[in-house]
Amino acid sequence: MKLMISLALVLLIFWPLSARALDHDNLDPNRPIQMEDAYAIPQGEIGLESGVRVNDRRKGKTQFIFQPQIIYGAFRNTQIEIQSDIFTEPHTVRGSNKSGDLHLGVLYNFNTETLTLPAFAVRLEADFPTGVRSKGVDTQMTGILTRSFGRLRFHVNAGYTVLGSPQDRERDGTYRLVAAVSYPIGYPHRFRETLIVDVYTRQSDLVHQRNNTGIEIGVRHQLSSRIVLDGGLGTEFVGPSDRSVITGTVGLSVGF
Amino acid sequence: MKTKQWRLSALVLGIVVWITLPLTACEQFEQRDKRFYYRALWNFSLRDNLKELDIDFNGIDFGHSNLYESLLLTGANNVSTIEDKARKETLRFIASRPILPPNEEAIAPTYMKLAWRAQNTFDEAHALHRSTYDIYVSDLSPAEKDRAILNVLAYYQDSPYAMTPQRLDHQRLDRFPYSKTFRETFPLFNATIWAYHYLQVAVYDPLSAAPDLPAKQQAVQPILNTYHHYLEHPPVQWTFMPLVAEYSPRFAEQYPAIANIFDNLHMLHDTISDILASDQLPTWDAKRKEIYRVLDSYYLASADATNPMVLHESPFPHSQH
Repeated sequence: MKLMISLALVLLIFWPLSARALDHDNLDPNRPIQMEDAYAIPQGEIGLESGVRVNDRRKGKTQFIFQPQIIYGAFRNTQIEIQSDIFTEPHTVRGSNKSGDLHLGVLYNFNTETLTLPAFAVRLEADFPTGVRSKGVDTQMTGILTRSFGRLRFHVNAGYTVLGSPQDRERDGTYRLVAAVSYPIGYPHRFRETLIVDVYTRQSDLVHQRNNTGIEIGVRHQLSSRIVLDGGLGTEFVGPSDRSVITGTVGLSVGF
Repeated sequence: MKTKQWRLSALVLGIVVWITLPLTACEQFEQRDKRFYYRALWNFSLRDNLKELDIDFNGIDFGHSNLYESLLLTGANNVSTIEDKARKETLRFIASRPILPPNEEAIAPTYMKLAWRAQNTFDEAHALHRSTYDIYVSDLSPAEKDRAILNVLAYYQDSPYAMTPQRLDHQRLDRFPYSKTFRETFPLFNATIWAYHYLQVAVYDPLSAAPDLPAKQQAVQPILNTYHHYLEHPPVQWTFMPLVAEYSPRFAEQYPAIANIFDNLHMLHDTISDILASDQLPTWDAKRKEIYRVLDSYYLASADATNPMVLHESPFPHSQH
């Protein structure tokens, strides 16, 4: 963890404060909360994203999750992603995203929002069993909608995950629903922060348990045109006995 | 159980297809098509080395979007809302010395939804503007700068959103039934917009002639002073927008295609201002259709073969300032 924090600090201090592109209003999952908008990064852009999430659970040890990710705008309206989350307490991880799994994803944005149409996108993902206690290839599909009213943007994410090889009492498939709003703070004087709030519910990882249901809030701050910092907090108010009491996330994204 | 899950996945996929296929048939279906700028080591040389000029360019980015949103939401029927409120918001933003470009979708969320394709055309031409400034301010040799400029031009022209590099008949483009509505109704804001365009085109030759960064800073200072004077006292006596060849003749001679693209870009800004200000196009739908008609017929490079506005001779424009 010290290494990751040191790396982040080095990047923050020494990266030239210049640029444009990767922007605080383009919302990607986990940066800093799980919701995302329907838009892909521009064609040709490369984004390096990283974050640290602290998950203080009602039962079990506090967990730290490191979230390195590479995003590439491979085609117009299409981004591809490579990610591998690293968890502390890896043997206690349940569900599709095991510590060290190789995660590949594609986001395709069908359309931009117009006066009559929301923006729609679909995300397809696969988790390969390269991680701790991981078996089988897990797949996920998510539909994404973004609709704005003035500067307030609403987002809905609805996804379903199929576990390739569920273990113990793991479900073989789980759904997830997220509703979110985002708002640029500071208009008309300042354009460097976006506030994001979401509520979500997802099926528990193990059978016969209640849905994990919670709320998250986050801010994305444009440090330079190339660098976005993010921070978020969340809590789960309904769910299994090991649900989150509080989660905290800090991260940064660099586009070039 | 496994079969059940795959059936569920197929159902979700079916729902996605069911939602998205009709989208493509919808009249307002538009793809976003954002493209990254030309990547090079000289990216952001202007921001890193001539901050003052870069900050003024960032301020400019606010102006057009704020204008378009204000025209759209007010129906352009309230002069003081545009000339006083919207224009002064723009001046305040410029005075705030923004070190980063603003998020234009936050400034003009309604306009972006009305005419995204036109906005994306602006965005790509603005990226070409930024790239040429970066190259001029970079420490490349003259030959390397020339090569870099031709590379960014080729990259720009490789896009379906590229504006024509042909010289267009701006006088004819200024004779549509709704033309001049904006400048006649809102002369102060129009002159402010033309002052932005003055700054954008006037810096090329001084930047090119100055041998090093201190000299470049010194060379652009009088232009910045003039620009800020224009912001305080908008040049309402001007009868036409500033053209590249008037203020940076060397640049226009060396890179006529880019100079034409920038003049056409600024003319398109004026045309869209007129469309949004005109009551001859009373509905948002009518405005959108007209914006896309002129864009597709006269401004995009894809229309070159049939574009009646292309001037086949290339006379230098005469000064109107």
